Amino acid sequence: MKQYIFLIASILILASCSTQKPLYTWGKYDVASYKYLKNRDDKSTQELIKTYKSIIAKQRGTRKVVPPGVYADYGYILLQENKIKEGKAMLLKEVSLYPESKPFIKRILKMLDK
Amino acid sequence: MKNIFFVSIITSILVFGCASNAPLTKSKAYKGIYIEKPLTVLLMPPINRSTNVEAKEYFYSTLNVPIDNAGFYVIPPFLSMAILEKESAYDAELFINAPLTKFKDVFGADMVLFTIINRWDKSSIAANVDVAVEYILKSTKTNDVIYRRKGEVTYDASISTGYSGLIGALADIAASAINTAATKYVDVARVCNTYTFKDLPAGKYNPSYGKDGQELAGKNNFKKRLNSKYH
Repeated sequence: MKQYIFLIASILILASCSTQKPLYTWGKYDVASYKYLKNRDDKSTQELIKTYKSIIAKQRGTRKVVPPGVYADYGYILLQENKIKEGKAMLLKEVSLYPESKPFIKRILKMLDK
Repeated sequence: MKNIFFVSIITSILVFGCASNAPLTKSKAYKGIYIEKPLTVLLMPPINRSTNVEAKEYFYSTLNVPIDNAGFYVIPPFLSMAILEKESAYDAELFINAPLTKFKDVFGADMVLFTIINRWDKSSIAANVDVAVEYILKSTKTNDVIYRRKGEVTYDASISTGYSGLIGALADIAASAINTAATKYVDVARVCNTYTFKDLPAGKYNPSYGKDGQELAGKNNFKKRLNSKYH
């Protein structure tokens, strides 16, 4: 019996150590962003778009909101793909979630209107 | 007499030894961050002084996540890169000792991150990677360095599935094969960045924001052995 209590206690202690959750979850962002940076071809672009979509769809971090920059970079990639309307909508989502992004998002929107 | 002499020498060695190694609190080590309360961070493309031409991309693609996870706002890396390229400001070497107020105007950045990769060596026998990298965060308001850490990291690439015996050995080989070169090297940069920025004071979006000043800061210069399990 005593052994069981010890075992359960150790499991609980270990579990509490490992449950330090991050603010955001990023899925396979690291590798997808590297491949896009490196190759900039259709395959890596589609993979990155897929990654952004899944980051936006599901957040298991403690903040439960989309991490900084994800809407904006996703919007930027859509603009590169000539999806202007969708891209602009994503940029505006970034501004409403993170108002500190306004200065450079405004700059990008201005560049588009030229 | 002799004894007293010895004791006093040993005591003084101990005392001095402690004093020089005494860790600082975060509020002392990273004073500027607690005073200025920066929020937005602009990533400059890493300066690559290593012999591996791809090290720059490995680092650039993995810098934003740990800084965002600390509670700061990292200016979206692909967007900021496009603007920097358009403004012909892509070469970080040009700005590391120059005034940074322009980055405040253009991006609204409170801090600019410079990353200098000094070494990236693959050891052919153990498949380990040795990296020397320096991170410098500068304030766009004062131009002061407000965070600087320099690390020598050995990435231990041997994968162990935790099973023993022949089956374990086979499983380890299979796991190593799945871990392709690009994925592995991205992971090398990821662990360097994650480890270094674990020491950042909490940013505005972190519940510990403003409450972690008494925590002890890590060493400015560190040596560390890490592997893919580090998060």
